Amino acid sequence: MKKIIYSLFLLSIISSCEVIEGPYMTGNGGGVDTNSNQYVKNILIEDFTGHLCQNCPDAARELEAIHDLYGSQIIGLALHVGSTFARPYPLSQPKFTYDFRTKWGEELDNFFNISDAGLPKGMINRIDYPGDHRKNKGQWLASVQQELDKEVVFGLNINSSFDGNNSIIDISTDALKDISGDYKLVVCLTENEITNWQKDGVIEDENYIHNHVLRSLITSAWGDDVSLSTNISNGESYTHNYSVNLADLENFNIDYSNNTLFQGNGESGGWNQNNISILAYIYDNSNYEILQVEYASLATN
Amino acid sequence: MKNISLGFILFFLSINIFAQNNGEIHGDFDLNMQSYIEDATINAVAADEVIRNNSFLNIIFTKNNFSAGLRYESYLNALLDYDDDFKGNGIPYRFATYSIEGLEVTAGNFYEQFGSGLIFRSYEEKGLGIDNAMDGIRLKYKLLKGISLKTFIGKSRTYFTYADGIFRGIDGEIDLNETLELQSKTRYIFGGSFISRYQQRNNPVFELPQNVGLYAGRLNIINGGWNYYGEYAYKINDPVNSIQEDAVNYASGNAFTSSLTFSKKGFGITGEIHRADNMLLLSDRDRIGKAYIMNYIPTLSKPHAYTLLALYPCATQAMGELGVQLDIFYKIKKGSLLGGKYGTKLNLNFSRINGLKGGTSILNDNVNFTPEILSFNEELYYSDINLEVNKKVNKRIRYNFVIANQTYNKDFLEGKTPGEYGVINSTIGVLDLSYKIKKGHTLRMEVQTLIAKQLETASKKEEGDWVMALAEYTISPNWFFTIQDMYNYGNDDESKRLHYININFGFLKGANRFSIGYGKKREGIFCVGGVCKLVPSSNGLNLNITSSF
Repeated sequence: MKKIIYSLFLLSIISSCEVIEGPYMTGNGGGVDTNSNQYVKNILIEDFTGHLCQNCPDAARELEAIHDLYGSQIIGLALHVGSTFARPYPLSQPKFTYDFRTKWGEELDNFFNISDAGLPKGMINRIDYPGDHRKNKGQWLASVQQELDKEVVFGLNINSSFDGNNSIIDISTDALKDISGDYKLVVCLTENEITNWQKDGVIEDENYIHNHVLRSLITSAWGDDVSLSTNISNGESYTHNYSVNLADLENFNIDYSNNTLFQGNGESGGWNQNNISILAYIYDNSNYEILQVEYASLATN
Repeated sequence: MKNISLGFILFFLSINIFAQNNGEIHGDFDLNMQSYIEDATINAVAADEVIRNNSFLNIIFTKNNFSAGLRYESYLNALLDYDDDFKGNGIPYRFATYSIEGLEVTAGNFYEQFGSGLIFRSYEEKGLGIDNAMDGIRLKYKLLKGISLKTFIGKSRTYFTYADGIFRGIDGEIDLNETLELQSKTRYIFGGSFISRYQQRNNPVFELPQNVGLYAGRLNIINGGWNYYGEYAYKINDPVNSIQEDAVNYASGNAFTSSLTFSKKGFGITGEIHRADNMLLLSDRDRIGKAYIMNYIPTLSKPHAYTLLALYPCATQAMGELGVQLDIFYKIKKGSLLGGKYGTKLNLNFSRINGLKGGTSILNDNVNFTPEILSFNEELYYSDINLEVNKKVNKRIRYNFVIANQTYNKDFLEGKTPGEYGVINSTIGVLDLSYKIKKGHTLRMEVQTLIAKQLETASKKEEGDWVMALAEYTISPNWFFTIQDMYNYGNDDESKRLHYININFGFLKGANRFSIGYGKKREGIFCVGGVCKLVPSSNGLNLNITSSF
């Protein structure tokens, strides 16, 4: 009898196996229904990367694929960080001389301890900090799905005016429920469509398109208080105003590369103001989780 | 996990009290402390903590057919060559096991390997910072004479937590001669195994298998001095969780290993071939990294212990490689011209590993590619030919001499861009001489040299030639003192012609061993059995204590 029971147990194990027959692509995902609420939950994917990192473009493509699937709810931010993969070659070299790194990217990288664990890595709304916040690209999709199911707590609106160099940026935050805690607003500038060298698998691609590259933070890396009170009521609205000068920000990065960054060479300029966007997010200061993120073009907003 | 561990401790204490008189408790302890100071010349960084420490204590209680044990581990914080996810203290390993009437039951943690590991290996290797112990239930049963079965269900450890996948496994082995009571001189042992990993499906675009199965069959035939071992393994489709069509691969995986050995007194020869294609099993399909690898393709190259022979080691490629190895051992008889008074041992070893034609198998809606099974003229990953001569000259002097020529595809094996370093060929000589000065006093010296060249023009220069010398003075049974220097004299970059000096001083008494060392470590690759890790350069003091009871 014992043997029979044992054999049955073994049989049940062996039957647990699924061979999938093509076609393998069974759906397009269909995105998430936008409900009647004015705001939906947006998700920030912080893609820590470097132009010398040959596996990083695969992660960038995963980000694009997730964006294509879920649309504007997915917002990407590429942070070129660290001295291994993001350091520029000396200006005497013909390639990889651009310094994509920034003061804030390095600060976030050090705090969240990302590049030390190897690139590419990403954070999805910075969930699972500390410990499991550094995610391989294979984990991004599941984490995004988990985040999409969460309730939307804040709404963000970005308004800006731009005169070719100076910009006034207004961020308004709407509380969508009663909530208490310490919430911070971070505002940054990103640039799309930067054509420059990138290692991509076995290829060194001179014409790689770098998208949503972090250029500058307008707040500090840890942001400004959303509200002066820790108790926030449903329906309350807060406004933050910032004024920026693009040339100053660009020069700051050049100086920072020249004077502070490891093997920096000052090759951090050449910003194209038409491709600059504003990215704003709110995070919970108790666990760093990002609760809402919004994105708008600077020049054409 | 902490609550479970606490429960186990209480359980332990209670059995300890009741069983003091007729049970046995054994254990071992290991402490590895290292300080890290900045050394810009070798790119070594200082640790914020100044010193870091890895320690563990094993305790095992045994009484008759029952045993239980646990391991306390402490990483405050983990040494720099460990993944930084090893952090903090805990009892990640605890188990209880008993056996009765042919059935062995284990609850808690256990290590397990099926066959040579092609479809499953759960093991720990402290040197690599790997511990993928299972946590669950395992049963072993002797079904009939010569027939044994193992089954288990569990999750695998990663650092201080468990990976997402749930593993179910079964392995059976039959010793035909024993079962059928054959009197034949030839012994036949057959084995078969099956593994299934469950992980929830959540991909909105691609249909992913939730249950991924692997199976393997093996055969061992032994006749006198002859021994054949062969194993074939297969894995069903196991695509990653991506929504990029290019990244999702539905191809199955497979691997085989086959070896034939002949040995008699003073002579042995082994020929071996193996191949792996798309045969990486992870405990979580969404993750990467050695902490998640759950199977093992045994390495084909000779494991070298001498530093310069292991400078460019071979990492096994479960995703695709084909390799062969030939190993010949011969002992020249004592009393002969070359054998001398004590005889001379010779070991000739050759191994060569290359990629698969066209790469790993790929199957998706657009591509269906399977590489040729045997194609030996593909991109070379690694080759090694070496001769070792081991001789005792007289009562005072013995030596070991090794000469080797290795070819190492640095770009591929270290994940560099093709053309960055290319392929490195190195010729290595080692002389290890041991001289017994008087009773209990032994001086051992090693001289090693490595001459390297890049086989193709590459954009970067490799490190060039090395020389190494070591002197070790042992006063047995209590003391040893070692000094060694590795010198990169042939580096093209004059500023990198550096000395890596290490001194080490140790004291042993009974079951306790203490050693203190100071020195510089070169950044490099360290492998055990073809599984490798990157060791960062470091400069500092280290303290090692081991003890057992």
